[in-house]
Amino acid sequence: MTRDIETYKKLQRRSLILGLSKTFFTLIVLSKLYYLQILNKSKYGKLSDINRIKIKILYPERGRIFDLYGDPIAENRIDFQLNLFREKRNLIDQYIKKLKKIIRFDDLDLLELKKNLKSDNVSDFIILKKNLSWKELEIFELLSNKFPFLFITKEKVRNYTDELVFSHVLGYVGYQKNSDNKKLVNLKVGISGIEKVYNDKLIGSHGWEKIETNSSGRNMKKLQENLSLPGKNIQTNLISEVQNFSFKQLHGMSGSVVLMDCETGGVNCLVSTPSFNNNNFSNGVSTKEWKRLLNDKSNPLLNRSVAGLYSPGSTFKLMTAMYALNNGFNRETKFSCPGFVELGSHKFHCWKKGGHGLLNMFEGIKQSCDCYFYNLAKEIEIDSLAKLARNFSLGIKTGIDLPNESIGIMPNRAWKRSNKGEKWHLGETFNTVIGQGFTLSTPLQITTMTARIASGTEISPILMRTKNGSIKHMNYDEKNLEFIRQTMFSVVNEIGGTAYSSRLSGNLFMAGKTGTSQVRRITKMERESESGVLENKELPYELRDHSIFTCFAPFDKPKFALTVLIEHMGSGSKVAAPIAKKILELALKKYY
Amino acid sequence: MVKDFIDRIKNLNWFFVFAILFLTFVGVVMIYSATLGMKVSILIPHLIKIFLGVILMIFVGTVNVDFWRKNGYFLYFFGLLLLCWATFYGFLGKGSRRWISVYNLNFQPSELMKIFVIISLAKFFDEKKIQNSKDYFSLILPIILVCLPVLLIFIQPDLGTAIIILFISFIVFFAAGLSWKFFITIFSLFLMVTPYLWSYLKDYQKNRILTLFNPENDPLGSGYHIIQSQIAIGSGGFFGKGWLKGSQSHLDFLPEKHTDFIFSMLGEEFGFIGTVSVIGLITVITSVGYRISNSLNQTNFNRLLGLGIISNFFFAAIINMSMVIGVLPVVGLPFPLVSYGGSSMVTYFIGFGIILSLHRSLSLQNEDSSLINTPFRN
Repeated sequence: MTRDIETYKKLQRRSLILGLSKTFFTLIVLSKLYYLQILNKSKYGKLSDINRIKIKILYPERGRIFDLYGDPIAENRIDFQLNLFREKRNLIDQYIKKLKKIIRFDDLDLLELKKNLKSDNVSDFIILKKNLSWKELEIFELLSNKFPFLFITKEKVRNYTDELVFSHVLGYVGYQKNSDNKKLVNLKVGISGIEKVYNDKLIGSHGWEKIETNSSGRNMKKLQENLSLPGKNIQTNLISEVQNFSFKQLHGMSGSVVLMDCETGGVNCLVSTPSFNNNNFSNGVSTKEWKRLLNDKSNPLLNRSVAGLYSPGSTFKLMTAMYALNNGFNRETKFSCPGFVELGSHKFHCWKKGGHGLLNMFEGIKQSCDCYFYNLAKEIEIDSLAKLARNFSLGIKTGIDLPNESIGIMPNRAWKRSNKGEKWHLGETFNTVIGQGFTLSTPLQITTMTARIASGTEISPILMRTKNGSIKHMNYDEKNLEFIRQTMFSVVNEIGGTAYSSRLSGNLFMAGKTGTSQVRRITKMERESESGVLENKELPYELRDHSIFTCFAPFDKPKFALTVLIEHMGSGSKVAAPIAKKILELALKKYY
Repeated sequence: MVKDFIDRIKNLNWFFVFAILFLTFVGVVMIYSATLGMKVSILIPHLIKIFLGVILMIFVGTVNVDFWRKNGYFLYFFGLLLLCWATFYGFLGKGSRRWISVYNLNFQPSELMKIFVIISLAKFFDEKKIQNSKDYFSLILPIILVCLPVLLIFIQPDLGTAIIILFISFIVFFAAGLSWKFFITIFSLFLMVTPYLWSYLKDYQKNRILTLFNPENDPLGSGYHIIQSQIAIGSGGFFGKGWLKGSQSHLDFLPEKHTDFIFSMLGEEFGFIGTVSVIGLITVITSVGYRISNSLNQTNFNRLLGLGIISNFFFAAIINMSMVIGVLPVVGLPFPLVSYGGSSMVTYFIGFGIILSLHRSLSLQNEDSSLINTPFRN
């Protein structure tokens, strides 16, 4: 019995130990639950939100760009993109290996992907591939079950209606370099042209959306969104039809066409050839393509209209004549042209070997006689001439709403001193008055000069369509301006004028001035050799003269000012003027 | 006959039954939530299993305890046969061979074996008194009783069930009053024998077992699962996210939410209040079962049987909870009565039925207690 009671006590002790151990385990579980659910609630709450909520950046649709008549010249197209959950980036290599069978990945895609991975993007998604084709899209939809965490999004991407034609004036878009906002790596901004200048207007503002997903990245549900605001549309003064026509006229040649409205200053056409495909740039240009464009000798990336520098050639004679008249010179005074003028030991030659004979100013401009202007040069003070030319926008920026406009060169004494370290020589005035020598202008500057002569106002070129402000009149005698216009009329419309063969058909008249921009210096030896001065076609291409023609029309009530410049194609009357005639005829037809 | 049956039912501990039904109800609520996103609803099968289980529990409750004592070894061998069948000819699922399929009904003998091992151990210790060191040789029999099914289950492999059976057997040995020396000897023997046994296993079996011990190396990512489970429970906070609103559960971040990780889902949707309530319910069931089993008037067999069965329930619950909150490594083990899974639920109901019948035997004795006034009958 004693032993029974002892056994009984022992067994009850064991039961007690068992019960206590159960209590102990329960307390451990309870304390851990307290730790998880009470003490660390916010931490685990956040972690569970991170699990389920993903943030996607909504990039804004870029504003569209229209021409003067409301036709779109820069639009947006839908782009299908393949996205991956950022937290699953360790899957990238594996996925790309598998996806390569159905989707084409080129080096550019992979490079961009690498960049995206490095960035501290706020988005929880990484773009794996852009520009999915319909076929790729179809195949992927079929196989999408094999690729959890991958999904397709629709984005709007810049698309230019006429690639090549507007490339220089519109520019292109691309990713920001060294931007302050590294969180928006896929935001494209204007890199050049109108896209750059009006980027703030066009770009809009980004938004975001919160998406709830399950663990395999499916069944996505929108929780909250803050929509992106699309950029504002802008209207330009460009005329799509004229721009396209001009671009075709310059096919196969390097050159520039600038057409400007003499009443508003609106730039209706701004072509530069050769061109590049700006749509390629919007999709991200490959390094190979970029290098090819940079190394191309014809320099397709240069906007010749605003940044190409050329000697204005004979078109500058309008400035010289204007200067002379402005200083009280009698325009009926005649000079004789034997084919050259001597200054000291140096001979200055006229372009016409036999000379023009006896000429007054009117004939001098009409026939573009160099000797007439050499004689004027003897009286000319270079600093004052430069000042006058600047008033007609030569040698200063026109202020057009495009980036990287060249200032050109309108030489004077101060310029010579600081750039060449020498004082001014009279011989240099001889070169300057006929538009050769140091003087360099852009086709846009020459157009602006013509527009100012034609309108008599201080008009400036502008691409953006704006309301007309009042434009100041030029501070020159209207009689003198009218005389210059008359001479320009005679250049085109009178027999003996250098552009007579390019006069307009129909009842409207244009007035203009031809020019030949020398690329080389003709040496004394060459001139005196048996064969004489080499013809253009005998010269290597890079040494041939540029062909310039600047004009305005209609003569009675100037509406358009136009400059056509063709590189290395000889004299202005032969090449540039006929093209200018066709472009003007189209512009006038469209306007009237 | 019928009157006798009704009397027996009247004498059941209905408080205990309702506590169990309440825990089962919690399970139904959670299974409903877990089943929402599933293609095939598991709610109806779950309810059917509960219905069958409850009927089985009441029925077992009316059977006298003596039935189990008399047929203890027979049932054990029956269970062992089923277990062999399942281990060597059963069908493979979730990486182990542990099911017998009869008429499309999958049955897991290892669950039932838990009860049979407890019964046979209780029977052994009831019949054989271990009082001096000589008697210790006879302990070889109960050790074999335990080791045979554990080994079979281990090579299925189903580490969770194997560990639970070892653990419960240990508790029965302990409650039987064996000296501490015995436990020390067994533990050192275990350490010696393990490497020898290991060499007998095939490579794929070794791999499966190693994976269980090393969740971090698990290619399926048990480490990931345990993190997600902690996030689910922690994010529930004090009040929980609300029924059917657990994002971790419903967006599939939580694995196995209807079976092993159902407690995490409960923690997410019902918060600290929910988890503590469930623990409270488990404590109530355990202590009622404990009081019944450990009562002064129970025979030694009844006491060991009751303690074994109630400990089986309690430790399954507490180990499952410890797993999902990251206190213990994850081995496959369902939450009693709450998780989806027929075999384990039916086994627990049978176990509770036995506890009910223990209670009935107690109240019968109380009626006779005026006649036999001995506190300890043997």
